[in-house]
Amino acid sequence: MKIVVATSSVPFIRGGAEILADNLRDALSAAGHEAELVSIPFKHYPPERIPEHILACRLVDLTETCGVRIDRVIGLKFPAYLIPHPNKVIWLLHQHRTAYELWSHPRAGDLIQGPDGPVIRDAIRQADRELIPEAKAIYTLSENVSGRLRRYSGIDSKPLYNPPAHERLFYCGPAGDYLFFPSRITGVKRQWLAIRALAQCRERVRIRFAGDPDNPMQQEECVNIARELKLSDRIAWLGMVSEEQKRDLYAKCRGVIFPPVDEDYGYVTLEAMLSSKPVITCADSGGPLEFVMDHQTGLVAHPTPESLAQAMDALWADRRSAAAMGEAGRARYRDLNISWPNVVEKLLC
Amino acid sequence: MLKINWFSPLPPAQSGIAHFAMQVLPVLARRQEVVLWTDQHQVAPEVQRIARVTRYSPAAPPWREINDGTISVYHLGNHPDFHAGIWQVSVRQPGIIVLHDLCLHDFFFRVWVHSGKDRASYLAALERWYGGEGRQAGEAFCAGGISAEAMAQRFPLTRQSIQGALGVITHSRGALEELGESSGCPATALDFPYADTAESRYREWTAGRNASPHPPYRLVIFGHLGRNRRLGAVLEALAGLDEREQFRLDIYGQLWDESHIRMEIERLGLSLLVNLHGFVPDSQVEEKLSTAHLAINLRYPSMGEASLSQLQFCDYAVPTLVTRTGWYASLPEDTTAFVRPEHEVEDIQAHLRAFLADPGSFYAMGERGRRSLINHDPGRYVDAMLQFASEALRLSPRVPALTLARSVGADLTAWLHPAAGPYLLERASKEIFTMFGGEAGKTGL
Amino acid sequence: MPKNHALRILIATVRVPFVNGGAEILAEGLRRVLIEAGHRAEIVAIPFKWYPPERILDQMLACRLLDLSETFEVPVDRLIGLKFPAYMIPHQRKVIWMLHQHRQAYDLWQHPLSDLHTYANGSEVRAAIHRADTELIPQAQGIFTISRNVALRMKSHCGVNAIPLYHPPQDAALFYTRPAENFLYFPSRINPLKRQELVLQALAQTRAPVRVYFSGSATEAAFERKCITLAQKGGCADRVQWLGSVSEEQKRDLYARSLGVLFPPVDEDYGYVTLEGMLAQKPVITCTDSGGPLEFVVDQRTGVIAEPKPEALAAAMDRLWGDRERARQWGEAGRQRYDDLHIHWDNVLEKLLQ
Repeated sequence: MKIVVATSSVPFIRGGAEILADNLRDALSAAGHEAELVSIPFKHYPPERIPEHILACRLVDLTETCGVRIDRVIGLKFPAYLIPHPNKVIWLLHQHRTAYELWSHPRAGDLIQGPDGPVIRDAIRQADRELIPEAKAIYTLSENVSGRLRRYSGIDSKPLYNPPAHERLFYCGPAGDYLFFPSRITGVKRQWLAIRALAQCRERVRIRFAGDPDNPMQQEECVNIARELKLSDRIAWLGMVSEEQKRDLYAKCRGVIFPPVDEDYGYVTLEAMLSSKPVITCADSGGPLEFVMDHQTGLVAHPTPESLAQAMDALWADRRSAAAMGEAGRARYRDLNISWPNVVEKLLC
Repeated sequence: MLKINWFSPLPPAQSGIAHFAMQVLPVLARRQEVVLWTDQHQVAPEVQRIARVTRYSPAAPPWREINDGTISVYHLGNHPDFHAGIWQVSVRQPGIIVLHDLCLHDFFFRVWVHSGKDRASYLAALERWYGGEGRQAGEAFCAGGISAEAMAQRFPLTRQSIQGALGVITHSRGALEELGESSGCPATALDFPYADTAESRYREWTAGRNASPHPPYRLVIFGHLGRNRRLGAVLEALAGLDEREQFRLDIYGQLWDESHIRMEIERLGLSLLVNLHGFVPDSQVEEKLSTAHLAINLRYPSMGEASLSQLQFCDYAVPTLVTRTGWYASLPEDTTAFVRPEHEVEDIQAHLRAFLADPGSFYAMGERGRRSLINHDPGRYVDAMLQFASEALRLSPRVPALTLARSVGADLTAWLHPAAGPYLLERASKEIFTMFGGEAGKTGL
Repeated sequence: MPKNHALRILIATVRVPFVNGGAEILAEGLRRVLIEAGHRAEIVAIPFKWYPPERILDQMLACRLLDLSETFEVPVDRLIGLKFPAYMIPHQRKVIWMLHQHRQAYDLWQHPLSDLHTYANGSEVRAAIHRADTELIPQAQGIFTISRNVALRMKSHCGVNAIPLYHPPQDAALFYTRPAENFLYFPSRINPLKRQELVLQALAQTRAPVRVYFSGSATEAAFERKCITLAQKGGCADRVQWLGSVSEEQKRDLYARSLGVLFPPVDEDYGYVTLEGMLAQKPVITCTDSGGPLEFVVDQRTGVIAEPKPEALAAAMDRLWGDRERARQWGEAGRQRYDDLHIHWDNVLEKLLQ
C-alpha cells in the first residue's frame, strides 16, 4: 500500500510526536509498504491563526500522486488529522489541548488569556466534532486521550500503544546517585515541581534534567527557582543529549522522575520500564498512570512538592525496593505487548 | 449552566438602563451565575447584594477573568458616559449585545471624534455602512453644516455596534425589522422587562390620585429632554389651546437647551402654567406620578428603542400621549393615545380637549396600560434571554468563520485573478462552512 | 552579515509524495550546507498535486494561510522559497531561489507532455498562476534562480529581474577523472524531455562505431520501449547499453571513464549533468535549445553545441570519437571553466542570507 502519515509540526522543534511519526513511517516500511511522512507546519498563535491552519490542511489533496492512488492516510496531530481523505485513519496523539482540558490551566492555558479565546476554542471544538468522524477508524495514543475525546467531543476511539524509539537498546545498569528527568523543559512537564519537591527532600536526592526548553526563558525560570532554593549543586542541566547518552542516563539512574500534568502518553515512563527503573509520577499526570502501578513499578504522588518529596525520599532511601520496582516495571512492559507490528496491523485493517 | 458576564450601567448611574438592570438582574442571578462588570467609580450597595461586582478598565480588560464566564452580555445605548467602556469590550470579545437604542450616531461621534480625537474612524464607519454619501455627510457634520438629528436619522450606525456579535437583542419588533438581515448574526426582539408594582401598593397609590379628579389637570414630562422630546410642540399646543388654564405642565428632567425652553415659555405666555423642575431622582418619580393625570411621552425622531418611562406610566396606570413611531407604534392601540409626527400640535390639542371632555376614558386607558405589563414580566424576559444566549453560543464558531472568510477574501484580492475568483472563494467558503457550521452563503466572501 | 550570527532558516518547497528528484536533492543540499555554516535550517515541504487544475488554486491558498514568521516567539530569520507554490508562503524576510515556476502554465503551456491545457478550466488557472506570480514574487526581499535560463524565463513571463545563483552538484568533491574508454555517457531519467530518442537517431547516423551508455530510470514505460525499438531499427542496438538506475559511486565511475558526456535535453532548467561532466574533466555534447547546459558548455572549447538534429549530433559524436586528444583537452578546459565559475555553496549562502 501507498501510505502517507500526515502530521503537524512546529519547525525546529523535535519532540515525541515527531519521533513517533518517523517511527510509524519506518514501521510501515518495515511491513513492506511504501510510506511517507507529510508534515504541515503549524503556528497556534495569535489565536486566529488556528482556523487559518485548519483551512490550509483542508485544502491539501493526498488522494493520489502522479495518477497513482494513495491508499491510506494516517492522521496524527491537529490540524493535520483534518486533511480530507476517503481512506483516512486517525491515530490521535492529542487534540489542541488548550481548547480542551488545558483551557484554564494556570500556566499552559493560552487561549483563555485573550478576548478571542472563547470563540476560537469553540470553533476548534466544532471542527474536531464535525471532521474527526470523517475517518474510517479512530485510534488514540492512550486511554487518557480517548477519555478526553469522548468527554469533550463525544467521539469513541480505541487506545493503541506504541513502543519508544530503539526499545531494544535500553538496558539496566547499577543504580547511581541521581534521579533522571528527561523531557522538553516546559510548563506542562513540571520540572519546576520536581525542583520544589527537591527542596523538601530529607535525603540527598539529586536530579539530572535532559532536554531543551521550548523557549529559553522556561529553562531560565527553572534555573532561577533552583538557585533561590539553593539547590543548584544537586541539579544538573544536561540539555539535549544523544540517544545513546539518554539510554545510559536511564541505565544508571536510581529512578526516573516524571510528573507532567495530564500527559497524553509519556514515552519516558516506558523507557524507564525498559531500563528496569522505577518511575515516580503524580496522580494527575495522565498517561504514565496507565503504566505505573503504585508501589509495584513506581510511586504515584500527589502533585504537591511535599508529596513528591516524600516519594523521592522513599525511593532514594530504599535501594532494594527501588530495584525491585524497576524489575517489576520491566515485566509489566513485556506483558503489555506494545509493538509496532501491532500498531501497523490496527492502522491498516 | 451559564456563567454570565454582564456589562451595563448600574445604579447610581443616571441611566434608564441601570434601572432596567435592577429589574432583570435579581431574576437572572437566581437562574444562573452572574458577574457584573463595571467601569463606574461607584456602584450602589444594593447591586452588590445581587451579584459579584468586578471593576475593569476598558483600556485593558482582564480577559483571563472574563473568560471564566461562559458568555458576555453587553448593554449598548446612546450615552458614551455609560456605554463607551462597554462598547470597547464588546468590540474585542464577541458576546450578546442588547441594543437599548438603535440610533447610535451620536454615541459614535462623541466616542470617536470628541473623546478619541479620531475623526478617521468616524468617517470610515460612515463610509463603510453608507458609502461615499455617508462620509461626505460626516465631514459636513464635523464642519457644522448638518444637524445632529439629521445625521442620527439618516446614519444611525446601528450595524457598527453589532458587527462580530454572537447575537443581538432588541426590545422592539420595529428595531428587529430595521436590522433585518444586515445584523449577520442571530437577532431577536424581547418585550422590555418591567416588574410592575404590587397590586396593593398600586391601589394605595391610585387612591391618592383618584382623590383629585378635577382641574387643573397635571401634565407631566420626564427624562433626558433633548429636541426629540418635542417640548416645542407641546408648548405651542398648550399655548394655542383656549382651555389651557385647565392644565398645569410639570417638566422633570435635564433639558437639552434650558435657556431656549425658558424663553419659549416666556414668549408663549405660559410662565404660570409650566414649571421646570430639573432632574428628579428615581426615588421621587413615583411621588410625582401619583398626582399626574396625563403623561406626555413624545419622541420624534425616535431613537429606536423601548421606553422605560412609558412602562412606568403603565405601571401607575397614568394615561400617556406618545408619538406614533418606532417602538411606541407597536404599543397596544387601546392603552395609549397616539400623536402623528406631522400633526403634532393639532393632535396634542385634540387629545387635551378629549381629556377635558371625558377624563374617565383616559383613566380607563391607563388601567388597560397597566394590565398590558404582563407581557413585560422580567422572569419571561430572563428566560427568553437565556434561551437566546444559549442558542447564540452554540453558533459561536460563525464568528471566527467570518473572520477567516474575510481574511481569506482580503488576501485573495491581492493576488488572485478574477477569473479564478468564483471557484476559490466558493471552495474556501464551503470548507469553512464544513469546519465551523454556519451558513455557507453568509460567509461574507 | 556577521559570519558568526546563527540564523534560523526555513526552506520552503513542495513535494509530490513518493517522488524524489532534483528538487529534493537540492533542498537537502541547501539544508546541509546551511547547517555546516552554523545555522539552523529545516525543510518545509508542502504536498503538491497539480491536477485537476483547481487543486493548484487550493494549494496556492493553502500556502498563503501558513504562518512561518516565528516559532514559539522566536523569529524565523529567513524563508527560502524554492518551488511553486511554496514560494507564495508569506514571510517578512523571504528570499526566492527559483528552481522553476509552474512550467505548464508558461513555457510548457500546450506542450504534448503537459496536461493543464487539456482541462476546461486550464486557461483560467493559467491566468491565475500568472497573476499570482506577478503579484507575489516581487514581494520577496531577494529573487534568485538556479540558472540564467530560469531567470530569462522569469523575466519574460513576469517581468521580474532575478539573479542566477549556481550551485554545485551533489558530492562535487567526489568526482574524478580516468583515461577515456570507448563510450559516451548519457546519465538522465529516460524521459522525452531529456531526448534519449534524439541521441539514438543520431547514433544510427554516425560514421564511427560510437557507443553510448545510458543510465537512469524510466519514468514512462512507453517512452522507454520506444527508445529500445528505435535502437533496434536504427541498427545500433549493439552499440547501446541501458544501465538503469545506478548508484552514485557507479555514476561517478562512468563519468570518469567515459570519452565524453551526452546531454541534449530540451530547455533544461539547470542541468547537473553538464557540471558533473565538467567536474569529471570530460567534454560535453549538448544542443542549441538545451537551456541550462548552454551556460556552461563553450562550443569547440569545452564541448560541442549542436543543432538539435540527428545529423548534427552524429557529427559531434564522430568528432569526439575520432579525436581523443581534442576530447581530452576539451575535458580539461571544461574542468578549468568549472573552477573559474566559482560554483560554491558559500556563494549561494552569501547571496541568500544577505
